Amino acid sequence: MIEKDMILKQIGKIIIPLVQLFGIYIIINGHLSPGGGFSGGAVLGTSFIIMNLIYGEKFVEKFISKKFFYKLIGFSIIFYAFVKAYSFLSDIYNLPHPIVGEPGNVFSGGFILYLNIALGILVASVFYIIFSIFIKKEV
Amino acid sequence: MRKISAVLITILLIVVLLIGVEDLPESGKISNPTNNILSLTYLEKTVKETGSLNIVTGIILDYRALDTLMEATVIFSGFIVITLLFKN
Repeated sequence: MIEKDMILKQIGKIIIPLVQLFGIYIIINGHLSPGGGFSGGAVLGTSFIIMNLIYGEKFVEKFISKKFFYKLIGFSIIFYAFVKAYSFLSDIYNLPHPIVGEPGNVFSGGFILYLNIALGILVASVFYIIFSIFIKKEV
Repeated sequence: MRKISAVLITILLIVVLLIGVEDLPESGKISNPTNNILSLTYLEKTVKETGSLNIVTGIILDYRALDTLMEATVIFSGFIVITLLFKN
């Protein structure tokens, strides 16, 4: 791997946290403003891709290892399926329900916030894993 | 022979699709089937029933949540295939 420029590294230190914060904001505010799990997950995954391009793969592995990304993908899609199944059942049998709240708060809208978070984690991890597979091989 | 048959099949498909397009209603008329009560119902009731101000999210994660699950499954299966193909 070629040693990257100093300017690139310093700018990356400023930009990457902002991009990650923006992605998390889009995911969590998905039921209040435009956005949601898919778009926020794309932004979050792109921040990991920038990190990989600037600092190399070892730097990303220091924070989140690749195995953990694989686990996140599996767990988030199973979580989505179970939470949505529970939401269908809870409507029929009057099971306990997360607070619906008044529209406009972050903790409102029942299950939508948790489904958005699961989708965002899934999309971000898939983006990063596919990129990290493709950057190594010549396709 | 294969090229000629491919061209013929393509022309046949184009003709069939164009016949389908011919039957589409003219755009912008009030009597079109797309101008039904559905969109108005969503606009009025989504905030009350799901509690999300963003109506698109309210539709895709509450009314059409199984559809979104299948979208996530499409991404997931793409990931599985890429991992299978390119793993050493």
